[in-house]
Amino acid sequence: MTKRRASALAATLAGLLVAGAVHAEGDPEKGRYASQTCLGCHGIPDQANVYPTYMVPKIGGQHSEYIVSALEAYRSGDRTHPTMQAQARALSEQEIQDIAAYFASIDQPR
Amino acid sequence: MQRISVFFATAALMMLATLSTAHAAGDPEAGREKSQTCAACHGEKGNSQNAMYPKLAGQHPSYLYVTLKQYKSGERDNAIMSGQVTQLSDQDMRDLAAYYGSLEGDLYTLPLRDGGQ
Repeated sequence: MTKRRASALAATLAGLLVAGAVHAEGDPEKGRYASQTCLGCHGIPDQANVYPTYMVPKIGGQHSEYIVSALEAYRSGDRTHPTMQAQARALSEQEIQDIAAYFASIDQPR
Repeated sequence: MQRISVFFATAALMMLATLSTAHAAGDPEAGREKSQTCAACHGEKGNSQNAMYPKLAGQHPSYLYVTLKQYKSGERDNAIMSGQVTQLSDQDMRDLAAYYGSLEGDLYTLPLRDGGQ
């Protein structure tokens, strides 16, 4: 019985792990809302970051998975950038997914 | 007389400032030769097919250069990239940034207004 219980527990835990690994799907329409702030820098061609000075990266057309991992890294502090950390810390996991889904839904401007 | 020398000193300082702002130019051709390892993850022409790895083609060279420097200094930490950059010199990083920035790719600055709005 104990053995059975243990294996039932293990199965439950494994199930939870799988559920956690599958990202909730992002909603592009909600993402459009949540991402308005992003445009202040990422929507301006050749917008410069200062100290150090470099061009703000182009994120349109980037892989969604990478956008999600970048925002998560800023949120956790694994990736440091004062502005991006502040932005990402204000986002829920769902909002991060929504923003990535929205970016993926935009067509490249011609 | 003093005025004139102040003028020249100011002009000289401004020129120096301009020089240091302009990155010592990276050489895209040299970067291409150094990019063999990068291609394994970031794609042959910087258009990564694996969603885990960012596309680099057409990205701003100044951003790519700063990113490489951050991996090298440890400011940005990534198991794969931190290992890759250890052998790169400052010039290598400038060359790679210039190369990937020069390629055609999918990346673009986000449009302020998308279609239907």
